[in-house]
Amino acid sequence: MAIHVFGAIDVGSYELGLKIFEISRSKGIRLVDHMERRIDLGSDTYATGKISYFHIQQAGQVLAEFRKVMDNYRVEAYRAYGTSAIREMTNASLVLEQWEQQSGIHIDVISNSEQRFLDYKSIASKGEEFNRFIKDTCAIVDIGGGSIQISLFNEDKLSATQNMPLGILRLYDQISHIDMRTSQVESIVEELVGAQINTFVKLYLGDRKIHNIIVVDDYLSSVAEAMQTEYVNADKLSDIVRSAGRLGAANVARRLGIMDDSYNLVYLSGIMVNYIMQRFGAEKLWVPGVTLCDGMVYEYAENHKIIPPSHDFEGDIISCAVNVSKRYQGSEERERTLEKIAVAVFDATKKIHGLGKREKLLLRLSATLHDCGKYISMSNLADCSYNIIMSTEIIGLSHIEREIVANVVRFNHSDFVYYEEQNMASDIDRESYLTIAKLTAILRIVNGLDRSHKQKFGDIHITVKGDKMLISVKPGVDITLEKGMISRRAEFFEEVFGLTPVIKQRKS
Amino acid sequence: MADREIDYSNPAYYYNRELSWLQFDRRCLNEARSKENPVMERLNFLSITASNLDEFFMVRVASLQDMSKGGYTKRDIAGMTADEQLDAILAEAHAFVGSQYSTYNHQILPALKAEGITMVDDYRELRADEKAFLDEFFETEVYPVITPMAVDSSRPFPLILNKSLNLGALLKRKENAGPGILNRTKKSKKTLKSEKENLEFATVQVPSVLPRVIRLPLEEHPELVNGHVPVRVILLETVIREHMDQLFQSYDIVCAYPFRIMRSADMDIDEDEAEDLLKEIEKSLKQRRHGNAIRLEVEAGIDTRLLDILVEELQLNKDEIFMIDGPLDLTFLSKVRKLSGFDDLHEHRYPAPQEVPELPKGCDIFAQIRKGDIFLHHPYESFQPVVDFISRAADDPDVLAIKQTLYRVSGNSPIVAALARAADHGKQVTVLVELKARFDEENNIVWARMLEKAGAHVIYGLVGLKTHSKITLIVRREEDGIRRYVHLATGNYNDITARLYTDVGLMTCKEQFGEDATAVFNMLSGYSEPRSWNKLLLAPLWLKERFKFLIGRETQHALNGEPARIKAKMNSLCDPDIIEALYKASGAGVKIDLIVRGICCLRVGIPGISDNIVVRSIVGNFLEHSRIFWFANGGRPEIYAGSADWMPRNLDRRVEIVFPLEDPAVKEKAEHILDVELMDTMQASILQPDGTYEKVDRRGKEKINSQMLLGEEAVRTAQAAEEARRQTRNFVPEVPPTHDEVQA
Repeated sequence: MAIHVFGAIDVGSYELGLKIFEISRSKGIRLVDHMERRIDLGSDTYATGKISYFHIQQAGQVLAEFRKVMDNYRVEAYRAYGTSAIREMTNASLVLEQWEQQSGIHIDVISNSEQRFLDYKSIASKGEEFNRFIKDTCAIVDIGGGSIQISLFNEDKLSATQNMPLGILRLYDQISHIDMRTSQVESIVEELVGAQINTFVKLYLGDRKIHNIIVVDDYLSSVAEAMQTEYVNADKLSDIVRSAGRLGAANVARRLGIMDDSYNLVYLSGIMVNYIMQRFGAEKLWVPGVTLCDGMVYEYAENHKIIPPSHDFEGDIISCAVNVSKRYQGSEERERTLEKIAVAVFDATKKIHGLGKREKLLLRLSATLHDCGKYISMSNLADCSYNIIMSTEIIGLSHIEREIVANVVRFNHSDFVYYEEQNMASDIDRESYLTIAKLTAILRIVNGLDRSHKQKFGDIHITVKGDKMLISVKPGVDITLEKGMISRRAEFFEEVFGLTPVIKQRKS
Repeated sequence: MADREIDYSNPAYYYNRELSWLQFDRRCLNEARSKENPVMERLNFLSITASNLDEFFMVRVASLQDMSKGGYTKRDIAGMTADEQLDAILAEAHAFVGSQYSTYNHQILPALKAEGITMVDDYRELRADEKAFLDEFFETEVYPVITPMAVDSSRPFPLILNKSLNLGALLKRKENAGPGILNRTKKSKKTLKSEKENLEFATVQVPSVLPRVIRLPLEEHPELVNGHVPVRVILLETVIREHMDQLFQSYDIVCAYPFRIMRSADMDIDEDEAEDLLKEIEKSLKQRRHGNAIRLEVEAGIDTRLLDILVEELQLNKDEIFMIDGPLDLTFLSKVRKLSGFDDLHEHRYPAPQEVPELPKGCDIFAQIRKGDIFLHHPYESFQPVVDFISRAADDPDVLAIKQTLYRVSGNSPIVAALARAADHGKQVTVLVELKARFDEENNIVWARMLEKAGAHVIYGLVGLKTHSKITLIVRREEDGIRRYVHLATGNYNDITARLYTDVGLMTCKEQFGEDATAVFNMLSGYSEPRSWNKLLLAPLWLKERFKFLIGRETQHALNGEPARIKAKMNSLCDPDIIEALYKASGAGVKIDLIVRGICCLRVGIPGISDNIVVRSIVGNFLEHSRIFWFANGGRPEIYAGSADWMPRNLDRRVEIVFPLEDPAVKEKAEHILDVELMDTMQASILQPDGTYEKVDRRGKEKINSQMLLGEEAVRTAQAAEEARRQTRNFVPEVPPTHDEVQA
């Protein structure tokens, strides 16, 4: 039986954490060891944009210790991710290089949406329980220090996700300056979070109720652990929050057996989740007690096919993009047609473009969001689409991936700007730019094929023969317009792939 | 009685902890006086009372004196200020020392003599051949190693080492010897009588490198005494005193008397500020040599002129001076106990440590643990499996890591050697060496350095907390993944004391224990503590609350009319919160049986408060050291064992681990220990309402010596296991011998 040992490192804003896992086909994922060290990288970065020398040294030592622990466990593979504190650092590359020299650990910086997606995957790693919980209407509330992310599920699929600057440490910082009685804390926190939560409800829920809430956080988990359950119903949570207001958070924490000195943060988390549950009309709360590291190992195990996927995450990303498109009044029918043709072109030219599964997903997203900018301006479609995509959280995408999608959509409507011509302020590397070019070339062709918006190309076959890409459509469809359009759009496709697209009609 | 009517902070409900400590010494002294014990064991008990009293002064009296000097007026739970406590304990200590020497002079010496051992304390009693032997001995062995120290203007009063035995002398310059070099030009604040008489002071430390007990040459054709070849012994200080004139040849020895001082052993270390704790402790140990003198022992009848000098220089109060009617420092008796030829006077009734039934010699220890939890009960069962556990892990290629806490280890510890070997083999070895283990600081610094040199990751624990827990974690890579083997215990990883102290241990590879053990070491290494623990109860954050909950739950059961009982065994009980919880439980009708070997601040027999509580103390052949806690829990008993006593220092200022015993067979064994000890009618004493102890009233009761009974049971169990193995014809592949076995 092959057992793989995997290390997951989370370089967080307030803590560095390492988890060692065993992964095997028969037993799935098993946590073997974990260690966390409090190092407040966030307060340095958020205040000055840089991490202090002291913290750089301290974190370097901890990472070197992590390396030793991983070596001792004979870890075969590891992932180390930096989150918001590293994202917001102006000298990130220098610091990461220094840490790598010191510890041999390479740290990748992930975007908020990637981070949240991994958190989401960490819950999915709970398997059947997760699927059972999201079958009903469900929301994941991912509570961080600086912000919270609320993701809504509808019939198993992620339907919307929204980030709000209501993180627990941020809230704590805000209320710690207010002179108030213990009994007032709840109402003041509710006032602080109320406006944004209510806007979220109006935008995404309306009259709809969300029955189940899943919370991913560092705080409420301790209440669930103390109560020796991962599930708390709405009334129970309400009771705990009310009694903390009456008796003081410290006393209730003590009574529950929470010895952690962060009970104030636990209390704030409790108030916020309680408020969200009430506003969403939720009945049941699940606190699975997972962390980013659980998401990392799940992703690794899934990507390496050690464990079967427990959920269709790509479907979630697409579903999220579809909902974004809906918000900007895109035509779902046309988007589906474009996506289908785009996938057909992508698959047919696979040997030529050499792109993988992930790029195919980006193409599908580009097709889905191809004209979202129309909502703002018909004449400045390219830039408006680009800006909408760049300002919208699409869970599961890295910053670079979002840039790729935004640029593919932009260059679908405007002249392609070559890598050498582009503004150097962009942080897209040459390789990613090539991906933009390839996907743009495909989307342009696809857009040309459905120029009439009549979905004439719903049933097509695409093959590559020599230097031609043959697109055959079913008989009896008038493709005069498309034939004319494609000759104009083929130029860039030919430039990128060296292939000339040719449309022909199949014989009846 | 309803809670609100009782003020549990009433000092009348508590007994002072220092006086209770001295009560324990009294119980040890009773064993020295008991004719039921073989004479050599009586010597041992008397020696123990002496070392206990030394420790008491160095630790407790020193601390109270600091409080007194600092003007600390807060009262203890028994309502006494530091000054009141000092007065009471000094009075008790003087009385106790009187009892010690009365026992020595009137019981032990005659008993020894009756068996052929004579302690010679007067040189005039020596035969000529004995004198010649001692002259030779002094000249060749003693003289080269002693350093007489004189006091004059250029040589101030020398540093008298803590606990060292010295001879103080007054000297007078011989008339024809010219001008003296020992002129005491540095005058005292008050003119001492010795100064008026031009007497000079000198001191000689009795060298600790030489044996204090000197066996004199045998008489030719001696007559046997009670079947023994008679032996005469003399103490080293008597020999030096007799030869003092050889040390100060130009002087007449006016008088010479032995004296001994005790210094405060409190160390003041600012751990927050200490950059290197190890170096800081080394520094403090050096400073400790200069701690304040807190007790002076002198031979009764000492020349008052000599005494005045000592008192003046050491700045002692009158009640800190102990006039001793016999040889100072009775710990020498443990050496007399080792005299050859008197083996029959030793304790032989107690069986030797037996093989643990589940862990026969040569077995695959990891495979055995995989079969189920293994409970160990030392010294009735051998400690060797614990040594083997670590030793095998050190040599096992599948073992990835060994982690262990060390508090007190033996002089030539096979456990430390195995850890060093494991590190040498490239395994991850993490050892927490508690540098602040009182009186073992120097030892532990040596171990820490040795292990570091071998490549182990040595940690010194958490700032401000002593790590007293006893835990070992072995991480092993097996076919079905990583498995963690854990050993948890009530006693130290010390193969020597494991033969003398009663302790229990648990070996398990249950996942939840493994997870907790991993978290313990991560926490001790400076990583975050987990928010909750699966199984282990840890001090200082969780343990007290959990005990209070467990006791409170019994109270509730009693109030609900369900079965409610507590049986617990520990070394000391003085935590006010725990005592209050016990009082409440007793008040609610919970029957509470406590076996508390040492200090107990709980008062029994207070109507409505503690009349359901019985406290007994067992002082026997082995030092009772295990901590076991049993709660009836309404018919679903829970039982725990661990390193913590019910004392504030254990519950609030130390890292302690208490662990549940869950396996039904293990629970049964642990509860059986409590039940047997509760039946003891031979070695047990019962706490009385006035804080004194009385032996169990044996009238109409069977004679039960719990330690003997447990030892005999261990023999029977081991024999039965051996017999069962003999009858099983399964082929068991032999496990290669451990490194230690090969070495042996």
